Amino acid sequence: MRVVIAEDLALLREGLVALLRENEIEVVAQAEDGPGLLRAIAGHDPDLAIVDVRLPPTYSDEGLLAAIEARRRRPQLGVLVLSQYVETAYASELIGENTAGIGYLLKERVGDVRAFIDALHRVAAGGTVLDRQVVTQLLAAPDARADALPRLTGREREVLELMAEGRSNSAIAESLVVTPGAVEKHITNLFAKLDLPACEEDHRRVLAVLAYLRVAPAAPAG
Amino acid sequence: MDASTQPALDVNLAHPARARRWMPALAAGLSLGQYARSLVHRMAFLSALLLLGIWALAGQGYFWPAWAWLGLGDLVLLDLAAGWAWRRPPGPVRRVACVWTVVGVAAVILIFTWLLTWLLAGARTFWPGWALLGLATAGSAYSLFALQDRVLVARGKRALRARVELLTRTRRQAVVAQAAELRRIERDLHDGAQARLVALTLQLGRAELRAEQPEVRELIKDAQREASHAIGELRDLARGIVPPLLADRGLVAAVESLAARYGLGTTIVADTRRPLAPAVESAAYFVIAEALTNTAKHAAAEHSWVRIGDGHRVLLVSVGDDGRGGAAAEGLGLAGLRARVEALDGQLRLASPPGGGTLIEVSLPCG
Repeated sequence: MRVVIAEDLALLREGLVALLRENEIEVVAQAEDGPGLLRAIAGHDPDLAIVDVRLPPTYSDEGLLAAIEARRRRPQLGVLVLSQYVETAYASELIGENTAGIGYLLKERVGDVRAFIDALHRVAAGGTVLDRQVVTQLLAAPDARADALPRLTGREREVLELMAEGRSNSAIAESLVVTPGAVEKHITNLFAKLDLPACEEDHRRVLAVLAYLRVAPAAPAG
Repeated sequence: MDASTQPALDVNLAHPARARRWMPALAAGLSLGQYARSLVHRMAFLSALLLLGIWALAGQGYFWPAWAWLGLGDLVLLDLAAGWAWRRPPGPVRRVACVWTVVGVAAVILIFTWLLTWLLAGARTFWPGWALLGLATAGSAYSLFALQDRVLVARGKRALRARVELLTRTRRQAVVAQAAELRRIERDLHDGAQARLVALTLQLGRAELRAEQPEVRELIKDAQREASHAIGELRDLARGIVPPLLADRGLVAAVESLAARYGLGTTIVADTRRPLAPAVESAAYFVIAEALTNTAKHAAAEHSWVRIGDGHRVLLVSVGDDGRGGAAAEGLGLAGLRARVEALDGQLRLASPPGGGTLIEVSLPCG
């Protein structure tokens, strides 16, 4: 896998590069700002771009805008946006109409190296990975239509959050330290409570959850 | 005659037509006193002309009518000056005006008398000088004595107003500076402590993969969890200072995102073009956030709306819903918001009659 990184803080950028190289991911270019990222993508044709939301010169949402622009130019490019905070509005914008190959994670998720590398591979392969904080934020809102949500148990909420990260049943089971059978049971209950269409495939399942949370447009039936 | 004076006339006089013929000035709306004075003025003028005619017919010679003119003119002048003094507000100002009327008329009489003695009798010296000086001194002394309180009060008021202006300005500067400083702290947290902690978890993650003994891995995981908690706390701290979307994209985008999250179908009408100081922007945002939270939690509303617009040197924000109303002015976190708004010299109004929806209106001065 060939990756470009856009991160303005050298400390983090170098740490990331080292981490990726150790895990046999090739970092083909590094950028410090939005235009630099677009040039790197044009020049190196990577599979995946890892982008910090806040980049110079404005340190606001430059990275996000650059990531969206990069996706517009190359729809098949995987983009993983890293940030120190999650904003559901950013998640929605990033996903847009093209849900394939999008990731939006808090920066500290790099600490769980195996899960992080796994997420990189899924995004590069066209999957969708949203930080569990997005789900937490959406569930925390005092929502007028939240009648279904209070009925979720704490465990079901955790499962929902991990599903948004695009994890497989076994990965969810490992993360929560329960058996895969227990996870399946939670998921079945969850889908029944939220009235979601059951689907086996991880990616479609993520989209169903995100559509329910209104982060992504509803997937066409079938 | 002006038609608009007719009603007063009808009330006052039994025979308006006759009144018009005999007393046109009275009919024009003057009081009896004013009418009498105008008559006196006219008679004085006619007398002056009459005396001039007598003098001319009597073979001229020494121009004695000038003395009569002086007397008549003094009468009219005194009358006009007294009228002017009487129109001053009652109290020390009117008393001072009366004193200056007497002083002024006396001075005019003296000067004109001297003028006539000079013109008619060839006086050499300006004999009223000392008298004029005495009059002016007496008038000034009385004025100072009578008005000293007012002068002092006026000075006190001016000082007070200057102080209020100074305090208003410096308080606003302090609030604005504080908000800017908080934003800087938020940036520093983001680029400094938070980034370092992220780098720390990253290094710990790499270490964990290399660790062979299970207890070492467990220790590293514990360390990572602590770092994660620290990052989370810093994130909450930064979000409390200024939500990232507000810092990144400004008020309207932040409010739109908020409303979307609450799923209220809130209508947002934003029409503001002026750049907002961080203090004003944050205050407006937190008011709207609190109001929408209350709407989502308590109002059971079908519709809700947010309006953001520019007034004359103020930002106007209103948040309303058609829910059950009955919000208490000091409850639901409104007291804190009011303090925040008032620190910027803004105003917050709440209308929430039971069953009649809730409307919060805020005006925030800017620039």
